[in-house]
Amino acid sequence: MTGARLHPFTLLAIAGALPALAWILPAPSGGTVTAAIGLTLAASRGLRRGLWPAVLTAAPFWLFLLLLHDVPTTIAIGLRITTMVASFVWLVAALEPARLVDAMVAAGWSASVAYLLAATLSAVRVLKARARRIVEAQRCRGLSPRGGIAARLRALRALALPLVLSALHEVDERALALETRGLVPGIRRTPLAPPPDPAVEQAARWALLLACLLALVRRFVVPRFT
Amino acid sequence: MKSLTLDHTSFWYPATASPALRDVSLDVAQGEIVALVGALGAGASTLLLVAADLAPRVIGGRLAGAVARRDRSGIVLPTPWTQTSGMAFTVWDEVAFGPANLGWPTHEIARQVDRALERLELVPLASRDPVTLSGGELQRVIIAAILAMDPGLVLFDEPAAELDGEGARTLWRLIRLLAKDGKAVLLATSALDALPDVADRVVWLENGAVRAVGTPDLLADVVVCDAGLGTSVATVWRAGGLPEPYPLTVADAVQRWR
Repeated sequence: MTGARLHPFTLLAIAGALPALAWILPAPSGGTVTAAIGLTLAASRGLRRGLWPAVLTAAPFWLFLLLLHDVPTTIAIGLRITTMVASFVWLVAALEPARLVDAMVAAGWSASVAYLLAATLSAVRVLKARARRIVEAQRCRGLSPRGGIAARLRALRALALPLVLSALHEVDERALALETRGLVPGIRRTPLAPPPDPAVEQAARWALLLACLLALVRRFVVPRFT
Repeated sequence: MKSLTLDHTSFWYPATASPALRDVSLDVAQGEIVALVGALGAGASTLLLVAADLAPRVIGGRLAGAVARRDRSGIVLPTPWTQTSGMAFTVWDEVAFGPANLGWPTHEIARQVDRALERLELVPLASRDPVTLSGGELQRVIIAAILAMDPGLVLFDEPAAELDGEGARTLWRLIRLLAKDGKAVLLATSALDALPDVADRVVWLENGAVRAVGTPDLLADVVVCDAGLGTSVATVWRAGGLPEPYPLTVADAVQRWR
């Protein structure tokens, strides 16, 4: 299951429920199950696009946790963080921002709010494209992004600074452009291709919400009466 | 009929003491093409932002005087990569972003988008991802995106900056067609050689104020050429020490030479 054709709300529900369950369910078994599901979902989007980014982003957290805590705590929190990271990486890879905007607008949300949420998710793709152009430009000026750790760190600095500065510099002009293209408060946007929302997916979303609530009750309410 | 009227308009950017526009009075009629020329910092881009109702409403600052807009405007800014929606995975969807925001019915959106793509010769690129396009292609996509919103007043800020020679010629032809369709066009450009064939009127801005207004013949005026704003032919004629009046175009120069 890659998830790409699921309704955007279903993708959001899965990506939200997994981390919630990871933190609610008892460790380490709960976290193990949710992390396994999260990593499987990330892997379903491909090794380079899903699994590796999830593993590489989660790895430093494990290192810091190990420095700060004992092994059982590291495993408990590490699995939860891994679930969060893997779910987010999968969501970014599976969810098309335009489909999310259409789904939210069709559901009656404000187009500005929908754009804000979708822009956050699409920022990864836009920044990746810009980073590629900056790396090409730096290569033309003789800076190689390959080699040892020192060389890669130098290349990273030469990439990060222009990437951040250019993004900040463009904020004003992008705001003007969006304004002139009709993205203003109070608009009633036409969904271009509202994604179908089958009853089974709606039921699945409610089931996920119910599962989170039941896990919450089992974790915090039931022990008080036993 | 006037599409845009500026009456003794001045504009100050936030936290600045001196105005970027000084007492500018100008109107643009439907079907008319008015070109703004001037040195860097002359106020052409600022005038476009005021005309588009983006200054001071969005960027802040202070406006004095009156601005009357009869039609909805659309502005094409000089850097195309900052004007993409970031939401679209195809050129078609990128162009449809604006019309969808206007709340039009789907069939009307499709009609306007298809028409804009045809006009900008973008049909072969309709299914391409905008982030994979060249600067010139993206510039054409952004122009199509603005035209698909069917604005009555079209504002261009250096529209040919990212285009190659053929792309620029297509753009100038399109701008003439827009005027023929009854749209008012206000453009700021440094492509002075194109203006004799494109513009109906030329407005010379200097330090935020209107220095002179006239037909494109203004670009062969001695004073304008002295300010570095003449056409290439007029500038070469002047540099060669040839007698006034300076020719505006190659055809004028050939006629004079004979």
